[in-house]
Amino acid sequence: MEGDCHYLEGNLNARRRVEYVSKLLEEIGLEGQRVRMINMSSAMGAQFAQAATDMTATIKEIGPNPLREM
Amino acid sequence: MIVAEQKPLNEIKTMIADAERVLLVGCGTCVTVCFAGGTKEVDLLATSLRMSTKLDGNGKVVDEFTVQRQCEWEYNEPLKEKLDDYDLVVSLGCGVGVQTLNEQFPQKQFVPGLNTAFMGLPTEQGVWEERCAACGNCILDKTGGICPIARCAKQLLNGPCGGSQNGVCEIESDVPCAWQLIWERANDLGQIDRLMELQPAKDWRTSRDGGPRKIVREDLRLVAHEEE
Repeated sequence: MEGDCHYLEGNLNARRRVEYVSKLLEEIGLEGQRVRMINMSSAMGAQFAQAATDMTATIKEIGPNPLREM
Repeated sequence: MIVAEQKPLNEIKTMIADAERVLLVGCGTCVTVCFAGGTKEVDLLATSLRMSTKLDGNGKVVDEFTVQRQCEWEYNEPLKEKLDDYDLVVSLGCGVGVQTLNEQFPQKQFVPGLNTAFMGLPTEQGVWEERCAACGNCILDKTGGICPIARCAKQLLNGPCGGSQNGVCEIESDVPCAWQLIWERANDLGQIDRLMELQPAKDWRTSRDGGPRKIVREDLRLVAHEEE
């Protein structure tokens, strides 16, 4: 969970980096929502499935990466 | 080290707007250490530019190359044979690097991908602070190793101004008053009495006021220059 990482503050550092990548994607002209970080433990199977479903829905709504079609 | 940061992507895109083939050139020295213009940053910027210009409908060729030190002629030599392949080169070196490249290869135009900020040090990972203003006449011996030229907003030489409150400068709550630091340091060193010596107005001719500066060391020059 956030802040509760085997590598101490590793997932807090990772969150800032993911936010950076999200902003970079926006700057480039893509949607920042294409990258997302979610914290969960290995015992949270149901939540993982839900997060994957949500992410899939987000990506379907945004549509395919336009760069792949060019 | 020289500390710099990357220009906004849109500004760089505007600079390269008229070019079809662009080369990004990083520098392996100061700007690598401050994560602004090393191999990794060149890679990231090149990818961003390729993606972004493609999305804009005018995809450009953006290639990458990093030299060890842009501010010395010999390190830039490997660039020579590559330049003909490009319309424009973006330097991710400091301002010295950009100018060195323009001077060394006048047939090509080099534009800056970075804003060169100051000379300083990383006080923690991800944080850089200014420490030297290159005034050309160092007085750190008189101020306990803390520079009032680089670190005092008013560059005062004889103690703090009224804007110093509880050790903090009035310009920003996270900027310590340089003269508070100098006083504390002198106190720790048992040298408060040295601060009582009045410092005359600084001669700024050794700084920018004297125009562009130059150092010539005849002992290091090669004989060849005398024959020129």
